[in-house]
Amino acid sequence: MSKVLMKGNEAIGEAAIRSGCLNYFAYPITPQSEVAEYLARRMPEVGGVFLQGESEVAVSYMIFGAAAAGARVFTTSSSPGISLMSEGISYMAGAQCPAVFVNIMRGGPGLGGILPSQADYFQATKSLGHGDFRLLVMAPASVQEAVEMMMDAFPLAEKYRNPVMILGDGLIGQMMEPVEFPDSKKTEPLNNDAWATSGLDTRKSDTRNLVKSLFLDPEALNNNNLLLKSKYEQMKREEVRFEAYNTDSAYNVLIVSYGTMSRVCRTAIDSMKADGIEVGMIRPQTLFPFPEDQIRAAADVTHCSVVASIEMSMGQMIEDIERSVQGKKPVKWFGKCGGDVPTPEEVVA
Amino acid sequence: MKIDLDGIVIITGNYGSGKTEVSVNLAAERNSGGTEVRLADLDLVNPYFRTREARHQLRNLGIEVILPPEQYMTADLPILAPQVAGAIREQTAMVILDTGGDDVGATVLATLADRLQGISFKMLQVVNPFRPFTETVEGCLKIKSEIEAASKVEMTGIVGNANLIDETQAGHIYDGYEFAAEFARQSGLKLEFVTVPEILKADVDTGRFACPVLTIKRQLVPPWKQAVALT
Repeated sequence: MSKVLMKGNEAIGEAAIRSGCLNYFAYPITPQSEVAEYLARRMPEVGGVFLQGESEVAVSYMIFGAAAAGARVFTTSSSPGISLMSEGISYMAGAQCPAVFVNIMRGGPGLGGILPSQADYFQATKSLGHGDFRLLVMAPASVQEAVEMMMDAFPLAEKYRNPVMILGDGLIGQMMEPVEFPDSKKTEPLNNDAWATSGLDTRKSDTRNLVKSLFLDPEALNNNNLLLKSKYEQMKREEVRFEAYNTDSAYNVLIVSYGTMSRVCRTAIDSMKADGIEVGMIRPQTLFPFPEDQIRAAADVTHCSVVASIEMSMGQMIEDIERSVQGKKPVKWFGKCGGDVPTPEEVVA
Repeated sequence: MKIDLDGIVIITGNYGSGKTEVSVNLAAERNSGGTEVRLADLDLVNPYFRTREARHQLRNLGIEVILPPEQYMTADLPILAPQVAGAIREQTAMVILDTGGDDVGATVLATLADRLQGISFKMLQVVNPFRPFTETVEGCLKIKSEIEAASKVEMTGIVGNANLIDETQAGHIYDGYEFAAEFARQSGLKLEFVTVPEILKADVDTGRFACPVLTIKRQLVPPWKQAVALT
């Protein structure tokens, strides 16, 4: 298939359609509104539905409803909007409903600003909503990778019956790059007759399915949480993704960076290499599960003296890096969080 | 063949067609040819990657760039600088108005309709057939009529801007030229010029084109890349 030139936001919308997801509910917010604009045109062409909710809270329950009924469904928003959706996402995790949530991050806290940011790392990987749950979180560094992660996100959400989040910064949404939509990533939805409330006619069943996150019996609630925990443990074993860059060199510094920030780091690493300075990088492609073992192994070599967390936030991922490195090497932080993306020159310094 | 444009030139097109890259490079090209140029950023719909990103380079060349006040430059607000109307009235040798994408982005022109009354100007539609919704001439014609309806201004010409940014090859430029020429035939509009990225200049035989060529020195780059110096 030939390439097309797309904005990240448009490509994310198209990738969902190519994944067979024809249900999109959303509420506009900069810098992700182009997903809604694009799908407002495209969904009618392919027989799908785009419905704009009256708020992000409403949207999260539209997603819950569609997922509970067994449909492939997704939404997109940006930081403040994701905060509003957090209640619905917690309900979905408790009730084991698959769906894809895309966060094209902007500056925060509060209204913050409309420029790119990575300050929702804690929110995505640790504290999105109440209760004991996790999301599988993937962080693309290019428009093409955003497409591929979107196309992988639906089958992963169904495999774990858990929400999956694509965490991109504003640049991922706004930048334009040539992309293609690999047919090899097309998937059929898993059979969900055992749990989805898709109607007795379609399921040809005599038993009623019930989707719920309410467990009044303490033992039943504990068991539900143990079941969720076992899924997150399975994600840690099976879903870690990362990319290593220049790690076959005798690097003195190991950078850990994700998303578009990692591309700035790459440029910096190349320019330092030209000056005879070797720096390696591990780029987590999944933020949960986090590539702990890979980072520890890359830090625990004799030529590596320091690990640097470079992020467009005030030091959030650094906590996971410190946990991974287990005190074997010092871990430093560099970042910016006002909307200006750190330049390659600043990373070098 | 030289680009034959001066006076007021309005740059429109579908979202992401390359209006700003064309506007900035057209301003620099005309400026280097000795024409006094003003460039107004009328993109009220796009949050990133706007003319304002190239403002320092343009101002160093002596090109006046009309923008919203600095403190609102990253606000999510549709601010139309009052100087725009003035620039139209003052009739500088060349005034380029870089609008936002689609009919939504062109709506701003309707607010300037009074100012444009009785003045001669050109309104150009930038097309890139590698973008969604403009892969066909029908798609371009649809966008044309939507922009005309929203802006209350008639299109006068076409700019062929076929590209895949870093992955553009000579073949894309040739195909894009044929596409733009076909769009010109079907719409009755003049093909004003086509663009060629500077790095491909040596590979593209511009003798194949029956229209002028604008060389593009890419300005709207992500933070890990360097913009090409304008001259």
